[in-house]
Amino acid sequence: MRDRMGRLLGFAVALLASIAITAIPYRASAQTVDDIIKKGKVVIGVNTTTPIFGLMGKDGQPEGYDPDVARLVGKYMGVPVEFVSVTGANRIPYLLSGQIDMVIALFGITPERALQVSFSIPYAVEAATLVGPASRQVKTIDDLKGLRVGVPRGAMQDLILTPIAQEKGINLMRFDDEATDLQALISGQTDLAGTGLLVNRTLNRNDPGKDYQVKLVLRELHFGIGVRRGSTDLLQWLNTFIYTIKNDGELDAISRKWRELPLENLPVF
Amino acid sequence: MSYVFQFSTVWREFDHLLLGAWLTLRLSALAMIFGLAVGIAGAQAKASSSRLLRGLVQGYIEAIRNTPFLVQLLLIYLGLPSLGLRLTPDQAALLAMVVNLGAYATEIVRAGIEAVPKGQIEAGRALGLKPWQIFRFIVLMPALRTVFPALGSQFILVMLASSVVSVISAEELTAVTDTIVARNFRSFEFYFVITGIYLVMSLAFQALFAGIDRALFARWADHA
Repeated sequence: MRDRMGRLLGFAVALLASIAITAIPYRASAQTVDDIIKKGKVVIGVNTTTPIFGLMGKDGQPEGYDPDVARLVGKYMGVPVEFVSVTGANRIPYLLSGQIDMVIALFGITPERALQVSFSIPYAVEAATLVGPASRQVKTIDDLKGLRVGVPRGAMQDLILTPIAQEKGINLMRFDDEATDLQALISGQTDLAGTGLLVNRTLNRNDPGKDYQVKLVLRELHFGIGVRRGSTDLLQWLNTFIYTIKNDGELDAISRKWRELPLENLPVF
Repeated sequence: MSYVFQFSTVWREFDHLLLGAWLTLRLSALAMIFGLAVGIAGAQAKASSSRLLRGLVQGYIEAIRNTPFLVQLLLIYLGLPSLGLRLTPDQAALLAMVVNLGAYATEIVRAGIEAVPKGQIEAGRALGLKPWQIFRFIVLMPALRTVFPALGSQFILVMLASSVVSVISAEELTAVTDTIVARNFRSFEFYFVITGIYLVMSLAFQALFAGIDRALFARWADHA
């Protein structure tokens, strides 16, 4: 009986301790540019599982559109960049808990997300699409009936399709990241995969013969740099930075290098 | 600006969490039953006179026990289609859990079988019992009773490992929670609550196993 009480007490103490420990670092506050410069490095969350925008390079460093923009942030702030790999699901928690200073990871600008973070003006344009082999005939959302559609959890395709999946008869399958989502398409486990505008190029290189195409454009997106709400100083600096690289051609160069397309006209707000 | 906890968001979605918990329980229970069956068959195979059979089983055990469950899961779901076998996420998740549990259960059950005193088996033969009767009454039941605690812990480990199957889009408690959190970003509140739910499920299984132990194995208590 006493042993049981002792164990229960020990367990309760452990539980309370773990709550206490997890509660403390979660309160991360707003940041200024000076905070980051004083820290000596800028910690940027990037996606490393998406072709074109963020992959892990052969040298172990992230490469792609977003990592290149992140490197420019470091260059203009005058501090080295420390990369942290994030996914669609954990990028906001990482940002809010202070593990990263900003998110440059295919972060689509939406008002729901803006309740949690602040977005810079757009630095890239993309679209939430569904991609499939040429043999798959899909023209509208109604054509998705009965099909297995893979999407990355929490991505725009998930947010758009989940509310209508049941009434439209879509078999929606949520994967933890875009890489697994695309793998499922290639191995035939899904009929369509939620991804971006240009990924079918990569798919056709890796799995030739199926002629992967964009079947449906669900929504056009713009990517912004995400920072904690209330970081108005940092946000202003980032907007100034994006305006600069748009005008001096550096962002266009990044777009041509990774998307093989010139930079489109991006809206500002 | 610091974080404000909003546990009300969790209570709003609680029915979804309960559904997720039910999916986890169902998946785990099926995996435990089939995994135990594989374990018993495997233990039998390891005691066989065929060197090939013993080698195959040992190979299976080593492959599973020395590789991560996540890798086994991805191999079954994403890799098998290249060999022509395409499973749905739920099928792949169950198969991966059964294959994983089966390897550990084989070793555990084998240890239990070896612990049965040889004299008992000889006594069974002397009494004229058929081989299947000897196995079922003299070998298997006492063996299972001996290793029941170890089996129980392995079962719980497999249930906890089920939280990983969300990576192949199989739905269970963690997957359901990930989806909710992807929409409302309340990571701390939700993951804290489902930690509690996993804890409750684990304790419930332990109580169930203790009950089964009492009900089933009381007959085979040592009288020595």
